[in-house]
Amino acid sequence: MTDGNSQRLTDLMRSSQDGDGKAYLELLRAITPMLRATARRQLPVYNRQDMEDVVQDILMSLHAARATYDPERPFIPWLMGIARNRIADAVRRYARQAAHEQVVEIVPETFFDPGANMSAEVYRDPEALRRAIDGLPHQQRRAMELLKLREMSLKEAAAVSGTSVGALKIAVHRAVGTLREVLSKGT
Amino acid sequence: MNLETDDLIERLATRHKPIRRLPPPRKRALYWLLIALCGVAAVVVLMSPRDDLAAKLTDTRFLIEELAALATAVAAAFSAFCLIVPGHSRAVALLPAPPLVIWLGSLGHGCWQAWLSFGDEAWRLSPEWVCLPAIAVVGAIPALTMVAMLQKGAPIAPRMTVMLGALAAAALGNVGLRLFHPQDASLMVLVWQFGSVALLSLLAGWGGRQVLAWRHVGNA
Repeated sequence: MTDGNSQRLTDLMRSSQDGDGKAYLELLRAITPMLRATARRQLPVYNRQDMEDVVQDILMSLHAARATYDPERPFIPWLMGIARNRIADAVRRYARQAAHEQVVEIVPETFFDPGANMSAEVYRDPEALRRAIDGLPHQQRRAMELLKLREMSLKEAAAVSGTSVGALKIAVHRAVGTLREVLSKGT
Repeated sequence: MNLETDDLIERLATRHKPIRRLPPPRKRALYWLLIALCGVAAVVVLMSPRDDLAAKLTDTRFLIEELAALATAVAAAFSAFCLIVPGHSRAVALLPAPPLVIWLGSLGHGCWQAWLSFGDEAWRLSPEWVCLPAIAVVGAIPALTMVAMLQKGAPIAPRMTVMLGALAAAALGNVGLRLFHPQDASLMVLVWQFGSVALLSLLAGWGGRQVLAWRHVGNA
């Protein structure tokens, strides 16, 4: 990163804090490839989509914490402070998931009575669940994807989807109801 | 560019409004200190200052310990406010160490002097569990103010930040406690008062991730 480029980003951030939407858009577009490269360097085992999720996390965190930037200080260390923190969180999340997941060839039977396993088996059928989610109305599907599959907070999901927190809550509630109904009909 | 990320950027830029920058850490530490001192002063007045306060204010050891505790509180608050600004060096967390060492050193010296004067009798310790909740109560307003102010920043090192914030509040609580609670034996102060400050700080630091998280940023 050249001094000139670094100064340009500092100027863009300063204008963004003063409410210049165009400068903010330019800033976010300019830093995204940098963030992607940083994430790729630090998370070599991640696939493309996981990496993109981390980049989005960093962008949303930057947005939430933009009041903490002091224009008297350089921008890049501030940005990288957030990026490193979110990447470390992603690594922790990944390690936690890996620690709780066990790859098995045959899913063990949960109950002796085959009938008692029915609903559990249906809900464990990822293909049926995927089909059921695909069949949801757009808004409900989007809410499920952001909140349940990508585990975003309501605030983050609201920023991504452009809907209100209340609308997201209702959409998820309805989606869960619809999925329960669809999956229980399939048994 | 990935379409979803591009979409997110567009949305963030569309919703962007002018924002009020957080004042620099030294200014925020000063604001906190003013509010916190008012809270502590109110509790001291409510509890009635100790009868020998005028005499204690001429006692060098008492003054050193009170000033060191106050300096610890100010340094810890400043460090905590630095840590919620991304890009700040974490070495700033060491700032409260010098006043903390002076505070601890004065208490240790007091214990040594007591041992020279009274021998093994100086190590007799009576239970004074009330110090723990007392420091928590006196430090309550400083602590709540600290949490509200920290949640406006970024949780870059939540445990360390909350531990420093709690140290600031508890140290100030201890300054207030000594103004109405007549307990001056160095060993008692060391174990029950300094010990309570340390315990409260460590406990708060342990729960730091619950107090400071990214979900709080921008909501506080």
